[in-house]
Parts: sequence; C-alpha cells; structure tokens
Amino acid sequence: MSAKSSSVGSEVLVELRGIHKTFGTVEVLHGIDLQVHKGNHVVIFGPSGSGKSTVLRSMNLLEEPDSGSVKVLGVEYGPGVKGEKQVPRGKAIELRRNVGMVFQQFNLFPHLSALDNIAVSLRKIKGTSVKDSQERAAIELKKVGLLKWAANFPGQLSGGQQQRVAIARALSMDPKVMLFDEPTSALDPELVGEVLAVMRDLAETGMTMVVVTHEMNFAREVGDLNVFMEAGNIVATGGRDFYDNVTNARAQQFIGSVL
Amino acid sequence: MFRSDDLPPVNFHWALVWENRWALVRGLEVSIQVSIVALVTSVAIGLFLAISRMSSFKPASMFAASYVNIFRGIPALVSVIWVYFGWSLLFGYNFTVFQAGVIALTLLYSAFFSEIFRAALQAIPKGQREAGLALGMSRARVFTSLILPQATKIAIPNIGSMYIGMVKDTSTFAIIGLVEVVRVTQNLNATNFQPFVLYSAAAVLYVCIAFAVDLIFRGIEKNFQYPPTGRISRFLTKGKNQKVAVLIAKFS
Ligand SMILES: Nc1ncnc2c1ncn2[C@@H]1O[C@H](COP(=O)(O)OP(=O)(O)OP(=O)(O)O)[C@@H](O)[C@H]1O
Ligand SMILES: [Mg+2]
Repeated sequence: MSAKSSSVGSEVLVELRGIHKTFGTVEVLHGIDLQVHKGNHVVIFGPSGSGKSTVLRSMNLLEEPDSGSVKVLGVEYGPGVKGEKQVPRGKAIELRRNVGMVFQQFNLFPHLSALDNIAVSLRKIKGTSVKDSQERAAIELKKVGLLKWAANFPGQLSGGQQQRVAIARALSMDPKVMLFDEPTSALDPELVGEVLAVMRDLAETGMTMVVVTHEMNFAREVGDLNVFMEAGNIVATGGRDFYDNVTNARAQQFIGSVL
Repeated sequence: MFRSDDLPPVNFHWALVWENRWALVRGLEVSIQVSIVALVTSVAIGLFLAISRMSSFKPASMFAASYVNIFRGIPALVSVIWVYFGWSLLFGYNFTVFQAGVIALTLLYSAFFSEIFRAALQAIPKGQREAGLALGMSRARVFTSLILPQATKIAIPNIGSMYIGMVKDTSTFAIIGLVEVVRVTQNLNATNFQPFVLYSAAAVLYVCIAFAVDLIFRGIEKNFQYPPTGRISRFLTKGKNQKVAVLIAKFS
C-alpha cells in the first residue's frame, strides 16, 4: 500500500519507493512506499517491531536499504528499485545535511555543554566561525526555552530539557525536513508535554516533519498524513480525519490499546 | 639446628641511603624519562592498534589482534634483551640503552593500551555516532570530535595504572646497563653490601612514584569530567562561562 500526503501537487521533499530492508536473514521492511510533501506532518505509528524506526532511518540512510529508492529534495540516494535503471546517487552526508533527526534517547554529546552541543556541531559541520556558531546556538536554545541553561552539560539537564536541546541542535543545521523517532518515549510522563509543545510550535512554523509517536492526541492535532505500520508493511493511511473514522480493524485496535 | 647467633651481626646502615640520595634520585629520573617517552609512543601506537583491530578491513584487524596477543605475553626483561642485543646481532645496529628501553616498553605496552582503548571506544553508545552522522558529520569527524574525547575519559584511569607498571618494568633494564633505580642500587650494593637497606630504599622510591602517578591521573581525570571539576579546566572554562553569560544576556 502506498501513502501520499493530502496536499497533492505540492513539492515532494522525501519519497520512499519499494524499500526493502533485511537484518540478518529476516526481512523487516517488505517494500515501503511513502511520500512526504513540503510543509506536511507525517505521523507513523504501529506496534513494536513493526519497522517504524527502520523506515525513518532509511530516510537519512542511517539504515541503508537493501533495495528501493530514497529520494530527498529531488536527489536519488537509495540503492534503487530492483529492475529500474540506475540513476546517479547523492552522498549520504549531503542528504543528512538537509534532514534533521531527533532520537528517543536524545543522544546529546555528554562532553559538551548545551551551547556547545549546538555551536561545536555548527563549527565542525558547517565551518561556522566561533562567534557566529555561539550566537546561532543561543538563538536556537532560546527558541526551545533553554537559553538560561546554555552552560549546563547534558548530565545536568532533565530528560525533557535534553530532548529540547537535541531539537535545537538539529534545527541549527537549517534542515528542510525533521525526523522524530519516538521523541517522548524515554521521558517521565510529566516531561512529555514540554517536548510536544516545542514540536507543536515547530509544526506551526510549517516545518516538514515525520514523527514516529504513540502520542495519539499529538498525532490527531498535527498529523496531515497518518501511517499505520504492522510487520514491515504500511497497512493503513489517512489524512486529517484519519482518527475519527479508522476503517482498518488492526489500526483501530492498536489506537484503542495506546490511548 | 639453626641458631640466630650463627648469623653475622645485623648492621643496617641506613645512612647509606641519605649519603647516596642524589645517585638514587638520578636513577629515578632515568626511570621516569624512559617510561614517559614510552608512554607517549605506546598510547599513540596502542590507539592505532585499537582502531585497526575494530576496523572491518580483515588484514588490519587480524594483524592488530595477533600483535596484541603476542606482545602482551612477553616479559619486559626478554623484550629489552631482544631489542638491545638481538637487533645489534641481526642488523648490526646498536640502540643506546635509553632507546632500547623505550622500544622494549613500547612493544609491550602498546599491546596493553590497544586493549584499553578498544574497551573504551566500544563503551561509547552507538547513539553518539548516529547523532553525529545524522547531523551531517563525516565518519572521521564523528571519531575525532565525539568518540575519541569520550573514550579518552574512560581510558584515563587505566592508562594511569598501566603507567605505574611501565615505571616498574624499567627496573629490568638494569640488565642492559641503563642506570635507573635498580642499577644504581646494584652499584651501591656492590661496594657497600647492604642489600636490605638499599633495595628497601629502591622500593620506597617506586611506591612514591606510584602515589604520585595516581595523584596526577586523578587530577587529569577531573579535567575530563562533564562538567570538568579539575583546576586546569575550571580555569579554562571560567572565561568560557563568562562569555556564555554575556551571550545569554545579549539574547534574553
Ligand atoms: N540493527 C538491527 N539488527 C537486527 N535487527 C534489527 C535491527 N534494527 C531493527 N531490527 C529488527 O527489525 C524490526 C523492526 O525494527 P524497528 O526498530 O524498525 O521497529 P519499530 O517499529 O521502530 O519498533 P519500536 O516501537 O520497538 O521502536 C524488529 O523486529 C527489530 O528487532
Ligand atoms: Mg523504533
């Protein structure tokens, strides 16, 4: 089954076609097709092990598909769909500079302060000057409400604060698309809200986002395209009204179980 | 029957130690010099071996694994005789005793440091690498800016204890005539025959070094904490924190 965002006609920023991925001898993705349109917010959900993370990680080639096409901003990156003519492929590092990612475990750099997590990354990746990178870092920290904590190290921040720094760090690279892999799953319940608030603000700015999450209320609010996965396949998709009349029985059951 | 009055009168001549203090200190200096040079080379080669061993390039990883397993097992005494006499016999090139000592230690300890670094590098969560890559860092950049600094922190205490072992192993270099602590002690003993007194003094010197090294590495460790608590890095971060405060004020 293929999934397309609602706003047909607008530019497609990320397109997956026929993505197959095998770990060892087990095929965990059985041919995924997914289009992410500019400015759209795609929500991916489904049971554990269904392949949500693997789909997301194919989009920035943290997982290299065995076959299939990963097309980002018009450039082809994947190994290509079997049988199709090969086209020139871009480099993973160039793809990743256009696509930001936020992880379940935050993955801040523990040896750098909140400010330097952003500033040092800017310097090493974009070659920004010390002064400019620090100022940009301050601006990004301010946007997520953590400017005051700039000098703190990750170990001195709560989980919610760490995740907000991680979001700020990804945004400082000026990505065209942001990927979120269960960004609130590792957080204590009382800290989930602050991270979702930052993501909601980001969604309102029109950032193109792909979010793996089980926060169904959040999904309901921002999901322009909602994708239900099971056992390596996309089994149901829908637009903004998806959650009001879920027709797929398995999706319905799953939503009932996580609510 | 063994009677205590069969023994010669015991006469500990402790003043000998004080009289020859400068010779002993000079020997200690030599031990420290050899071991410090060897520490630098062993750490560098050890890191290189660790990276080779973890690489997916089979010949590199197999070479590193064999090297480690062979040289970990060779005693320092054998190593130095081999380097000093063997090299000269085989290739006709004579190392100085100092060079031979450094090379002998490096051969052995680069194997140990390789294992220390491998454990430290493997201890870094894979999320760090993924986060760096996802931001758009090259693999080399991920290694130098993220993995290596964090692994160094983990390795430092182990490097410290290894270094104490290196200092002690310099004692075997007396055999090639390196005038370190034990050689000095042997020389003094030859003229004074006071082995208990003189070797006790040598033991005290080694223990002092062990304490000093421990202290120094604890200091270094503190500078690698997040946030750093050591004097040097606190001094360095003071200026940095003031800049951050200015930045916060500017953008608030
Ligand atoms: N690196 C890996 N090596 C081997 N198997 C893997 C690897 N990564 C994922 N898998 C397997 O692939 C399948 C899909 O994993 P994936 O992480 O994409 O699922 P998910 O939907 O994100 O699950 P969760 O909700 O638990 O995060 C699972 O069966 C998982 O065990
Ligand atoms: Mg997952």
